[in-house]
This record gives sequence, C-alpha cells and structure tokens, in this order.
Amino acid sequence: MSYLTDEKEGASCLVMGNEAIVRGALEAGVNVASGYPGTPSSEIIENLSKVAKEPNLYVEWSVNEKVALEVAAAASFSRLRALCVMKQNGVNVASDFLLHLAGSGTRGGFVMVTCDDPGALSSVNEGESRFFARLLEIPLLEPGNFQEAKDMTKWAFDLSEELRQIVVVRSVTRMSHASGNITYGRLPAEKRRAEFRFDGFALDPDEGIIISAPVAWKHQQQQEKIRKAREIFEGCPFNTYEGPERPDLLLITSSACYLYSREAVNVLGAEDRVGLLKMGTTWPLPPKLLAKHLSRTDKVMIVEEVLPFLEENVKILAAEQAAEIGVKTFYGKNDGTIPMTGEMNPDLVIAALSSVLGIDYVPVPEEYGREAQASVIARAPNREQVFCPGCPHRASFFSIHNALEMDNRQGFVCGDIGCYTMAIGSTGFNTLKTLHSMGSGAGIASGFGKLGQFGMDQPILAVCGDSTFYHAVIPALVNAVHNRSNITLVVLDNSGTAMTGFQPHPGLDHNVLGEAVPPIDIARICEGIGARVEIRDPFDLEGTRETLNELIEDTSGVKVLIMRKACALSPQRKNKKDYTVHVDETICIGEECGCGRFCTRIFGCPGLIWNAEKQKAEIDEVICVGCGVCADICPQGAIKREEVA
Amino acid sequence: MEKRVIRRGQEELKKYVLDARLCTGCGACIDLCPYHRSHRGKTAVLFPCVVDEGRCFAYCPKVDVDLDMVSRHLFGRPYDGNPLGSYQSISATRAGGRLKNVASQAGGVVSALMYFALEKRYVSGAVLTDRRGLLPLPRFVTVPQDVLACAASKYTAAPTLSALNQAVEKGHRNIGLVGTPCQVLAAALMSSNPLKADDCVNPFGLVIGLFCTWAIDFRLFEPFLAGRIEIDRIRKIDIPPPPSEIMEVFGDSGTKLEIPLNEIRELVPNGCSYCIDMTSEFSDLSVGVMEGHPDMNTLIIRTDRGRRIVEEAAQEGYLTLSALPEENREHLIWAAGNKKKRGLSKARGEGMINTQGNETKSYLRISAEILEGLTA
Amino acid sequence: MTAYRLPKDPYNIIITGVGGQGNVMASRVFSNMLVQKGFFVTIGETFGASQRGGSVMSHIRVSSKSTWSPQVPKGKADVVVTLEPIEAIRVLAGYGNPAVKVLTNTRAIYPAGVIAGRLSYPSLDEIKETLKKLSARAWFIDATDEAVKLGNAILGNIIMIGALSAVGDLPVGRGDFEAALSRTLPAEKMADNLTAFDLGVELMKQ
Ligand SMILES: Cc1cc2nc3c(=O)[nH]c(=O)nc-3n(C[C@H](O)[C@H](O)[C@H](O)COP(=O)(O)OP(=O)(O)OC[C@H]3O[C@@H](n4cnc5c(N)ncnc54)[C@H](O)[C@@H]3O)c2cc1C
Ligand code: SF4
Ligand code: SF4
Ligand code: SF4
Ligand code: SF4
Repeated sequence: MSYLTDEKEGASCLVMGNEAIVRGALEAGVNVASGYPGTPSSEIIENLSKVAKEPNLYVEWSVNEKVALEVAAAASFSRLRALCVMKQNGVNVASDFLLHLAGSGTRGGFVMVTCDDPGALSSVNEGESRFFARLLEIPLLEPGNFQEAKDMTKWAFDLSEELRQIVVVRSVTRMSHASGNITYGRLPAEKRRAEFRFDGFALDPDEGIIISAPVAWKHQQQQEKIRKAREIFEGCPFNTYEGPERPDLLLITSSACYLYSREAVNVLGAEDRVGLLKMGTTWPLPPKLLAKHLSRTDKVMIVEEVLPFLEENVKILAAEQAAEIGVKTFYGKNDGTIPMTGEMNPDLVIAALSSVLGIDYVPVPEEYGREAQASVIARAPNREQVFCPGCPHRASFFSIHNALEMDNRQGFVCGDIGCYTMAIGSTGFNTLKTLHSMGSGAGIASGFGKLGQFGMDQPILAVCGDSTFYHAVIPALVNAVHNRSNITLVVLDNSGTAMTGFQPHPGLDHNVLGEAVPPIDIARICEGIGARVEIRDPFDLEGTRETLNELIEDTSGVKVLIMRKACALSPQRKNKKDYTVHVDETICIGEECGCGRFCTRIFGCPGLIWNAEKQKAEIDEVICVGCGVCADICPQGAIKREEVA
Repeated sequence: MEKRVIRRGQEELKKYVLDARLCTGCGACIDLCPYHRSHRGKTAVLFPCVVDEGRCFAYCPKVDVDLDMVSRHLFGRPYDGNPLGSYQSISATRAGGRLKNVASQAGGVVSALMYFALEKRYVSGAVLTDRRGLLPLPRFVTVPQDVLACAASKYTAAPTLSALNQAVEKGHRNIGLVGTPCQVLAAALMSSNPLKADDCVNPFGLVIGLFCTWAIDFRLFEPFLAGRIEIDRIRKIDIPPPPSEIMEVFGDSGTKLEIPLNEIRELVPNGCSYCIDMTSEFSDLSVGVMEGHPDMNTLIIRTDRGRRIVEEAAQEGYLTLSALPEENREHLIWAAGNKKKRGLSKARGEGMINTQGNETKSYLRISAEILEGLTA
Repeated sequence: MTAYRLPKDPYNIIITGVGGQGNVMASRVFSNMLVQKGFFVTIGETFGASQRGGSVMSHIRVSSKSTWSPQVPKGKADVVVTLEPIEAIRVLAGYGNPAVKVLTNTRAIYPAGVIAGRLSYPSLDEIKETLKKLSARAWFIDATDEAVKLGNAILGNIIMIGALSAVGDLPVGRGDFEAALSRTLPAEKMADNLTAFDLGVELMKQ
C-alpha cells in the first residue's frame, strides 16, 4: 500500500514532484509506463511499479530510452494510456523514434515526462528537452508547482487524446526532487482494453496503419495538431497571472523559476510593481494571451533556466504583434540580466529584479557576511564526493590505475555514465580521461583503437557499468570487434543501476515488478560478439591488476574484463559487514618511509581516518562497512580483518 | 641563515632518474613500499609519495651517489678512480668438480660460488635472476640446487633487487646477491645505512658483481626478436668477445641466430650510457668472461670476506684458480677505463655531476680532481 | 489551512549533513509533522551527493499561507540543523544571519581531502566558537555518540529531529512525530525511533 494510491480524493499530502506526476498519471488512468533510470526522473517509474498491481498497470524499466518510448507507443497505438519517463539525455537517445512518432501520431493518451537537470546537479550536461518540442512540433507543458505537476500530468493525457499526438511534460531537478503538499483528485474506475486496429482506411488515424508517411500529408496533419494545441492553450488554466493590472515590469516565467520569481517579488516587496505571468504551456505559446499581457507594460523580463527558449518564443510573438502591443524592452538571457548557464534560484531573480527596478537589496548585514565567508574558508574544508566506504569501484579503479602505470605506455581509460564517472577525480585515482554520453566510452575507445596506423601506441581502455552495458555499449562493442579495434573494455558489474537507486536491469533475475526473468549474461554476450572475456572480483586487487596487464598486452583485438562485485549500498550488501576491521597501532608505520600514509592519503576509503596525534591510521567504526579490502593495501599488514561469522 | 632542506624522496627520484631517463630498472626502489612497481622491465611510480627522505632515493644507483662515501664504507678508503676499483687480486678461474657441467654463461664460477656459499651457510639465501622467455625474473632462493636453475646471463636489464627488498622485509639477513654493477652499487648504498636509521642492518652475506658493458631493454628486445626466433624456446644468449661484434641467440633445437651488435646497441637503456662501472667495483667479488676463453671467468677479489669464500671453495674443488695473463689484465683495465670516461663525460656534459658538496644536483658526487683525471 | 502564527512566514529550516547520515529521512519526517498540523511545506533537496559522501542539504519552507520555492533565499534561514559540524559553517555562509539558531551534532565526518592530508579539519572548540559567533543561539548535541549507545548510529538524525522540535518555534512534538513516522515505518522500528526522539528533546534541556 502506498500513500500514492490509498489516500482518497481531497486528501492533502506532502509528496515529491515526481510523486505528484505519478499521482497525476494514476488519476488519468495510465495503463502502461516505461522508462530508463536517470536522475532526477527515476522515482516516477519506481513508484508506479510499487502500485502497479491494483490498478492493473504494466510498468517496465526498458533497456534504454528509445526502446522505452517504443514500448509505451505500442500501448498508445492500442488505445491504452501510456507514460514514458526519462531524464533529459534520454530524449536525445529517444529522439529518432520521437521524430517519427510525432509524424505518425498516437491513439491512446501518450505522455512523455522528461526531467531536465539545469546546473547539472547529477548529470554531466545541462541539455534542454524543451527545444525538442519545438523541433519536433509537439506540445510542451511545464508545471510551476507540485499541485500542477499532478494536475498537468493528468490533463496531458486528455490533451494527447484530443490531439492524437504525444504530449511532453517537462520537469526539472528542483521540481522533481522537491516536495510540497498537494490535494489529491479521484482515481478512475474505467478499465481499458488493448486493441490495435489496422485494417481501416490506411490514412485513418484510428483504424489505419500507423506510419509517418506520406510525409508531406502527415506533416501537415502534425502542424494542424500544433495549431489546435495553441488554440486550446489560449484558455488553459495552467497559464496564470498575478500582479497589478498595469505592472511596471511583466515577468514571464515557467517551471521552478516561477517559484523563485514569486519568492523574489515577495522578498523585494515588489508585488505592486511586478506582474507575474506563469506559463504552463510553453510550446506552442498562446499568442493572444501573451499579447494581452504584453500590451499592458513596456518592460518585460523573462526568467527561465539555461537557454532562452521562452524568451525567444515570446520575442517572436511580440515582434509579430508589435503593431498592436507596441515596442517592448526585454530583459533576459540575451542582455545578460539572467545567466545562460546553471540553475536559477531566488537570489538570481532578486538580483535581476533589483537591478531592473532600481531596488537596493542587502540579504545580510555586511559584517556578518564577511565573517561567515571567512569562516568557511578557514574552517569548512571542502567536501568532495567520493566512492562510498566499501565501494567496489574504488578497488576496480585502484587496479586499473596501477595496471596502466605499470604498463607505462600512457594508456588511458574512456569513461562512461554512472557512479564510476567520479573516477575522473582523486577518489578513482584520476583514471578516466574522456567522459560523454551513455555507452560513448566504448565507442570512443573503438575509434582510438584504430589510430595505430597514425603512430598511436598507447593502450586503450574503456569502462562501463552493467546497466550502461545493455543501454548503449553493445553496439560499440560489436563495432570494435567488427573493425578489429584493439581495446580493453572493463565492465563494472555491481548488480544493478546503483547511481539511481538499484533499478533492476537485464542482467538480473527479476524485473521491476518483482517477477522472475531470465538474466542476460554479459560475459556470454561479449563472447558471442567475439571478444576475449575474463571475470574478476575487484576485491582481489593483485589478481585483477595482473589480469588487466595481461589483457592490455594482448593485442589480438577486443578484450573484456568483467569486474563483478555488488555495490556497497545494494540490498544484498547494505548493513552487512563481512569483516570487523582494525588497525594494529604497533604495526602501523604511518608517515614513515615504506608507507607514507598509503591507506588514508592514497586509497582514501572514508572508513579509514588519520589520527594525527598518534601518527597512526584508524578505522572509523561508524563509517567503515567492513569490506576488508584495505587490509590488502597496507604495506605493513597493519590493517587486520576478521571474518564476521 | 636559513638552512635549506634538501628533499631526497620519490619526487626527486622521479625528476632526476625516471624522467631524466637514467633508470636501468635495477629494482632497488621496488617493493620497499606500495608506490613503486616494476613491470616487464620498467620501473613505474604508481602514486606520489610525500616522505622527505626515502630509501628509494637513497638506494638508487643513479642519483646523488657519493662515490667517496661508498668507497670508504666498503674499503675504508676514498674513491680514487682506478678503472677496476679497489681490489686485492685478479685470477682466471672456472667451476670445478660436480658443478663443472652446469649450463652456465662462461666458466660457471658465479653459480659455483653462490652454490658453495649457500651450502656452507655463509649466506642464508641468494638473490638471483631467472627468466621466462626474455623476461628477467628476480628470485630469492634458499636451497643450493635452485642457484643452478638461475645460471646463465639474461642480457635484459633486471629488477633483481626487488627480490632482495622482499627478502629483507620478511626478515632475512646474510643474503647473497648476484648483480650487475648498478645493482651492486645500489647494494653498497643499502649496506651503508644512508638514512642513518637506528634499526638498519647490513643484509648482505656475499655480493658477487658481474662485469657489464650494457644491458638490453626488455621491452625493446622482445619485439625485436619476435618473428626471428621462438622466444619461449631460447636456450641461451651469448656475446662472444671482440672482435666478433655479434650476439648469438641459441634455440632449443640447435638453431642459432646471429645479430650484429650495432643493432643490439639500439636496444640499450639510456641509463646504461651514464654508467662508469664495468667490473662491479663495490662488490666482494666480481666475475666476467675471460677474453679468449669463453668457458672461463675473470675473477676479481675485492674484500676479505670474498677472498675467504673463494679460497675455501677452491680448496673443496668447487672452482679452479689460475693466474690471469697480463695481456688480459691490461685489456680489462683499458676497457673499464674507457667505460668510465664515456659515462663521466656524458654525465658531466649534461650537468649531472656534483663536485661541490652538499647540494643535490643529480647522479654522482665525485671530487673535481678525480673527475678531471678520469675524463682527460 | 492553519491559524497558527509562525514567528516568521515562511519559516525556513535547513537540515544539512553528509550523504548517508539520513538527512533526507529527517527532513521528510519533520515536514510530515508540520503538514499534519495544516502547514504548507516545501522541501528542496540536493540528492545527487546523498549517497556519496558529499555535503547534502534540505531546505524546508513552512508557511500557513502558500507554497514557497524549494530554495531558501540567501541569508534567510531561521534554524539550521546539522548532522555534521562543519556543514553548519558552510550553510551559514549562504543562508545564515545574526538571528539564526543552530543545532549541531558534534560528530565529525572527515572530508576526503582531510583524510588525505591535503586539508585540515578544525577542532570542535573552533567549530563551537565559529557557530556561536554566527548565530543568535547554538546548541551542541552528541547525537551520533548517543545513537551509537542506542545501538544504531543512523538514529542520530532522529535525535536531532527531537532536538529541533524542542526549539519551540513550531507547534510540533512527540505525538506528531509518532503519527508522521507510523505512515512509513514498520511498527517494530517505532520504539527505537521514539527513544531517539525523546533523547533529542531531553538533550536540549541541558
Ligand atoms: C647484462 C649483462 C651484461 C654483461 N656484460 C658483460 C661484459 O660486457 N663482459 C663480461 O666479461 N661479462 C659480462 N657479463 C657477465 C657474463 O655474462 C657472466 O655473467 C659472467 O661472466 C659470469 O659467468 P658465469 O658462467 O660464472 O655465470 P653463471 O654461473 O651462469 O651465473 C650467472 C649469474 O648471473 C645472474 N644474472 C643473470 N642475468 C642477470 C641480470 N640480467 N642481472 C643480474 N644478474 C643476472 C644470475 O642470477 C646468475 O647467478 C654480463 C652479464 C649480464 C647479466
Ligand atoms: S595502516 Fe598501513 S597503510 Fe595505513 S598508515 Fe598504517 S602502515 Fe600505512
Ligand atoms: S574495511 Fe577498509 S576499505 Fe572496507 S569499508 Fe572499512 S575502512 Fe573502508
Ligand atoms: S620515500 Fe619511501 S615510501 Fe616513499 S616512495 Fe620512496 S621508498 Fe616508498
Ligand atoms: S635505477 Fe634502480 S633504484 Fe633507480 S629508479 Fe631505476 S629501478 Fe629505481
């Protein structure tokens, strides 16, 4: 049971933005939901899977976002309501299918939720999914608070059915992962039956075949849908205005920026000077609604995150309607009032507003601010993110690093997306040298591996996680084998999609609904492709290192090393100590020649700390998870481990 | 005046030796700690170390070597630049008795002496160099029979001293060592307690040095030979004395490959070209091939400890001793002097020699006078 | 929704700590206590670092009128609860002001740079001095140590929640805690949590 389903209509609950989206989808009677995990979107599919039984939902983690969208499309084509969820980069992956889907149209309500990550809080990009809506000519909705996250999701299904087109609901990290109270609506009783019709007139949207051709005709149909959406958006209740009839400044915003803007106006006490137009339907924009508000002021500020999507679209409408509404002064990304990178917050809006409105604003007394800043510098040492205590990646990268140093030919590792991305930094011994999108480590390596004819003699490695392997590495591996590229791929198999919270993937024996499924073995896939495959436990440090050196020296083609060890936070390892570990003070030589604080200074498991007074290493009982691997790195054998019975 | 602290740690070792391409991979800095590893003949630094004064630096024969200090420590007198170093006597010799037919390099004297020393417990174990294919493998052996398994020269530069460091770490003392001149110099540095540690003990029971003009870089040698001969089936490699100017590689099925030495010289580690020692001057005993007699050895006795063992071994028939013809002696002096001059001139030309005193410049410390004399 | 007059509206709480300390759970539970009382609550969280030893922060906005932004504006924190001492300093530099109250768990978790010896960690006395200077009132609570005595270090977060409820600015107490917790926690875990909560309240009296 979950508070997402058992609470009745009218109940007020504190939910995360992603949970609000889940409730909205449930209230819309969603039948099929698919997705690929990615922060900040993962909780949506996770929560749906938890409640799947009762309303007869089908929920799956798909192998990647493109397949997820295709799986959900099948439901829509069969007149079911379908939801597909991904983080922004997933839209890039899915976009080829999305382009064709937008051309073919849909049947049952089809909503794609994308969660963008402005400021890249847990991404390596701050890509924009909003532009896909414009590029692919499909409607885009952006909730401006938690209640809307629910209500808009629900409405998006209706809209999709009305337009016979997929509808995008776009959230951002601060919406998806923030929480607020919302009031629940009714859960529907209607049960739909899946049926795919194809034998009517070929071009009939409900009975024909579903394709994006004849292209010219279908494209016209598609644009007709977008015109219809624009009409509907003119009266959409998700576009709201608060402020004076004729404001000094009209602030147009959407999404989380609406909350920041509202806060900024409040902090500056500028409620009677600033009009706040919050757009819930950001593509296509309703021209009449905008003309009405634009005509009541001379100055317009647009507040949004990253690229000037809203700003440009508003400016086009303002230019087209300039004769009626007059010429405006715009403040936004283009003139530098609002930054064009990173996430927004109330303070950035306060700064923008106070400069445009000429308000003096000092958040804290100057002296306090100075003192506080000085204290941070003097007394709050920076806290980098590190691999967890007991993390298999620390051990894996220790061995990869050592193998490459010992090999001594400037070998390097192409990185990929997952927790192990942190191996760019010192927690992974600065091992990764390139980092891009899912699966691109293996792809780039495949290319590097062909540069021998231009004199490159550096060993080429790539790493990927187990989930990433299925998502996008397989084609790269096939490419490398087919093209006889000489590379070593290290698969960090920690039994789950650890980064985003252990979602099951095709390598496991169960799916997200808890059903037994056949595990798809990475080793056998690689062997099938034609690679040499080795499997090691990364906690066998020396064995792993030796194998790696051997593979690196083997010039016969593609080699795969699978490092198999469950994540320290995984359900099977969490809260379970394999060893009790302590440092024998009489043996530890600390800073002396022969060690030089190897455990704390180099290996860096947070479970090991340095007692400066005693000049000895120590185990922090609260943090150590008892994996025992550090006993093998101490040159003196001072770290003692005893197996826990 | 502020006293300048001279760091003698890994950072300096890396700067003056590894980055300057002086390293010969001797193994003296390996297995002292987790920072240095040797792999396929190359010494690698895995992580930066912050110890100010370290054994890696102190033991390395390619950095800040104080020749006077070493000579005083071993022989009780300053370094005088004699081409053959300090010694008591030179003889011609070969293994005798039941060790006569061992598959050794020349006269088998090295193996015979170490076998004897181990059998009589003059040493408790021996650090030697075995091989797999062309890859030299450091070994610590404790039974005499295993000495014979390591006989014959591996011309690839070897990290032999890593096995010594491991043995010392495990508590072994009174260890025998067979090494090339750079390794023997490192051993001398080790025994001199360069860091003035209270708990330092001299781990050596007997140091036998080999004559050496240069070694070969394994990582270049292996691809060089690949395709010419089956590497796993090489039985022996030899360099017959001048004027032949070839290297002979024997396969196990009687095949023989002859390679001109000027091709081989391309494969010599850069570090060897700075070496000023041909006869392992800082050993107890030094052994080389006797010119004109490929089945005999030239033996230089340098210390009392070495002399006693040689005499006993001869008495018990482990080796036969005879006088070395004057002509051979002169040629040896000429060749050793040449090597000294070449190495010193090169190092001096590159500003690596410290004649002033206490500042770490790099490579060698030597008095200005002797330097002049040797390079004139 | 509620007639209760907050000392300030919105009233801003920041709960901070290091990934793995139960920061998110603490802010959830406390927010639910407030929601039950009829307040609008918004929580803003930094998630990514939550499991990987980075600094984590939850912003809790409490209002009797409406939903506020998931990020507290600079200098506008009313109370800062910190599960790791130096994190309080970091938070105050962004959100502190002379009137702020600070509740600090005294147990240090050393950043990687400190463990590696590249950075240094201040003494507890230095931390206390700093926090006193930067706040109107500062409490120091040995929450982790007490939690270890209770048999589970993670309960440190609940001790701190108990302590927070005892500050007195908000109308919530043990009953609300019990009600909020029972929504998500199996019954057998309730007793430990209640003990921890009570201990937090108790420690504030000293
Ligand atoms: C790299 C190298 C270059 C040499 N150059 C010359 C030279 O220019 N002129 C000359 O007269 N003699 C040279 N020698 C010495 C010569 O080859 C014989 O080793 C020596 O004459 C002793 O012969 P033996 O029959 O007594 O040796 P054996 O009884 O066969 O014993 C050989 C011993 O050498 C050790 N050894 C083998 N390879 C290595 C190595 N790479 N590093 C350290 N120890 C090793 C083994 O552990 C073994 O104990 C060289 C030796 C080496 C290893
Ligand atoms: S425990 Fe071992 S590795 Fe750590 S400081 Fe002591 S001797 Fe060095
Ligand atoms: S046993 Fe060692 S490596 Fe493992 S968690 Fe504890 S301190 Fe870290
Ligand atoms: S100084 Fe000592 S501990 Fe450091 S690298 Fe050298 S030998 Fe190793
Ligand atoms: S010459 Fe020997 S001691 Fe010096 S760096 Fe090389 S392997 Fe180490």
